[in-house]
Amino acid sequence: MSFQQALRKHASLRWGIVLVSIVVLFSVAGPWLAPHDAFTSNPERAMTDALLPVGPSIEYPLGADRLFRDMFARLALGGRLSLLIGIAASAIAATVGGLVGIVSGYAAGKKGGSILDSSLMRLVDVGLSFPFLLLVMAIGALLDRTTVASLLVTLGVTGWLGTARIVRAKTLTIRDLDYVLAARALGQQQIVILWKHILPNVIGTLLVSATLSIGQMILAESVLSYLGVGLSPPTPTWGAMLYEGQDSYTLAPWLLACPAAAIVATVLGFNLFGEGLRDVLDPKG
Amino acid sequence: MFSTRKASLLFALIGVLGCDIALPAPLPVGHPADDTPRAGGTLRFASLGDVRSIDPARCNDGVSSSLVRFLFAALIEFDEQGKLVPELAERWEVLDGGTRFRFFIRQDVRFHDGSPLTAEDVKRSLERALHPDTPNPSASYFRNVVGYDLYADKKVPHLDGIEVEGSHLLSIRLTSPDAAFLPLLTLPPARPVCKSAGAQFADNWAPCGTGPFQLRDGGWSKGQFVRVVRNPMYFVPGLPHLDAIEMHFLMNPPTQRFKFEVGELDFVRDLTHADTIRFARDRRWQDAIARGPDLDVYGESMNTEMPPFDNVEVRRAVAAALDRKAFTAVRPLHLSVNTATLPQSMPGVDATFQGQTFDLEKALEHMRRAGYPFDPKTGQGGYPKTISYLVYPLGIHEKTGQLVQQQLSRIGIRIELRLVSWASYLSLSQRQGAVAISPQGWQQDFPDPSGVLDPLFSSTSINATESSNSAFYRNPALDSMLARAHTEFDPERRKDIYRTCNRILVEDAPWAFTTSLHSFEIRQPYLRGYTPHPVHSYNFARTWLDRSTTGTPSSLGPRR
Repeated sequence: MSFQQALRKHASLRWGIVLVSIVVLFSVAGPWLAPHDAFTSNPERAMTDALLPVGPSIEYPLGADRLFRDMFARLALGGRLSLLIGIAASAIAATVGGLVGIVSGYAAGKKGGSILDSSLMRLVDVGLSFPFLLLVMAIGALLDRTTVASLLVTLGVTGWLGTARIVRAKTLTIRDLDYVLAARALGQQQIVILWKHILPNVIGTLLVSATLSIGQMILAESVLSYLGVGLSPPTPTWGAMLYEGQDSYTLAPWLLACPAAAIVATVLGFNLFGEGLRDVLDPKG
Repeated sequence: MFSTRKASLLFALIGVLGCDIALPAPLPVGHPADDTPRAGGTLRFASLGDVRSIDPARCNDGVSSSLVRFLFAALIEFDEQGKLVPELAERWEVLDGGTRFRFFIRQDVRFHDGSPLTAEDVKRSLERALHPDTPNPSASYFRNVVGYDLYADKKVPHLDGIEVEGSHLLSIRLTSPDAAFLPLLTLPPARPVCKSAGAQFADNWAPCGTGPFQLRDGGWSKGQFVRVVRNPMYFVPGLPHLDAIEMHFLMNPPTQRFKFEVGELDFVRDLTHADTIRFARDRRWQDAIARGPDLDVYGESMNTEMPPFDNVEVRRAVAAALDRKAFTAVRPLHLSVNTATLPQSMPGVDATFQGQTFDLEKALEHMRRAGYPFDPKTGQGGYPKTISYLVYPLGIHEKTGQLVQQQLSRIGIRIELRLVSWASYLSLSQRQGAVAISPQGWQQDFPDPSGVLDPLFSSTSINATESSNSAFYRNPALDSMLARAHTEFDPERRKDIYRTCNRILVEDAPWAFTTSLHSFEIRQPYLRGYTPHPVHSYNFARTWLDRSTTGTPSSLGPRR
């Protein structure tokens, strides 16, 4: 099935790509298109007579924030950060989760491998027994200083657990297929079997899982920022913008609506894209 | 084309769908034309914070202090003009050149448990609060009392300086004259407690004092509410008018506002920025708004022991580089510009003194003199290192810190904001050698300059781990003037001394003073007889409730 056919057939893939493209385009080009700097307050121009930040206008397309800075520029910069964190953390989680899942699935039920499989899966069980966001928050609160790198590590090391389970299950199915048995019978090394025969067949599942987790990662980063354990100001993050906007929603609804809409669009976009990808790569699943 | 008009309409629609834009009308008053106080009713209000203790001996935060004043009366108290007046003491004398204070205690005062108040009770209560085993954060304020050091070292069982001269006559002797001693007796630890409190502090004691309200069994549910009821034996005839006061804890501002609007709370002061503006601009609520005095001073504290702020020219540059008007824009109805050490509401403050003013050219000149010339056009020069600046999440400093960062970048001082927890902020910003610059605020305990200047700028307030002098500022000339102000009883000469101190501090700039904060309070009009107090929060001593029992409040009532 060609890409065009897949797009025609799967609405979720279509809408996912549209939403993700809009968000990516806005985040990449937004800071250049913004009429003002994202970090400079300008109460002279951006404060109304009622002592509030100005609303959407030609000069400030998405209004100004509580420190009288351009919301458009800040939202776009926040988008770059969210995308970077979401994609990179998902990549870390997919790599770790994929590795653990393949090794565990391949070792399961084999002589000497059961202990490894059981140990890895019990570790996953323990990790999954904590609510994801609670775990992320606990690690976030432990770090005295939150940076992009520490956020990536926090989200990456807590986000691989589900992926490992899925990949293990897929590996368990594949490793008993005839062509894998044939490879083993021909005396191929285990690492070659894993690399050449197992990995190519679980990569689709891994890709879908990673795409779906991008939205979760963005949401988790927003929650951390919303709760005040995210990146230090003045770095614009959607979660922090959401927090700042909530107490002014009656008089300046754009402060809440803009970051909320951005989070919804991004998370929805990646979820639809991930689902569409799953439908394409694994139509029977 | 998606025009601005359409965008505005869309946002307005979101607002209408998601929010209650219009404020409801104030709830009706029972007898608007009659100013005669009416007895009865329960006044309800809430707080964003919680209280850890209602024992005056260990009370150390604003919310607890308010509650302590409901339950415990003091020998002397500040009146609504900020003047010290007798309360449990009928009168007092200042003797021996200001080293002895004699109090004539009222004979008609009874504790909540019915026992009479005597001079022995006052002595016992003070000794209990100042005992070294008592977790009293303000015990050292009383170190000038004769025998304090021996008592604090547990070398003597009693404080020699507190003398019972008769059943209702008490003297307090000081080691040196102190014009600022009397205000200390209004603080929670100096308020007499019942005999059931004993001579030693114990955490499980049921609070009992001589105040207008008393706490009954089950009246305090930690983290939820406190309900205090009228003390029928209160020594001021006819007071209090209220049957009870209910204070709810840990209630966020939007919830407080919702409950206030439907009449479930009678008074609010923890309002969001937007709600403050909504009430301030609604004509129907104007008579119900009260603005408290400026009790808090805010500023940027610069560590005079750490580079680059060990250089006075850099400190002066910072003081001149801050545009304080931009700071007030963060909370325009709460913050006002403050350019010197003392808030404008402090008695004796020279309102004509300019203090530290915003002047970018002057700031750049100070940077040049400091050896860090900066060219704003090219961005070249300035202080070469990046300076870490602590902010804690969700507080006002998180916003003003960003303004500091923006404004100091214009003179070549590069700031990196560091978001840390409230506990880390407190511990690091008061630890020697830990941070070069930090946002600071100070709430005065009583309206006397000593209550601000001594803890913030005297070298005696410096210590390695919990220094209230967060700038670690040492100036022998200032120290000697602050000490002299304590021994000066002439009010005019005392004011002159503090004005000189003010000028020294503005010039030496251990802090770049920025703003002062005052409360914005709103009450339902049926809460009557209320005026904000110049020193204390929640001044409900003479309030009464006159709520109409007829008429249904409308959530979208007609505008007047």
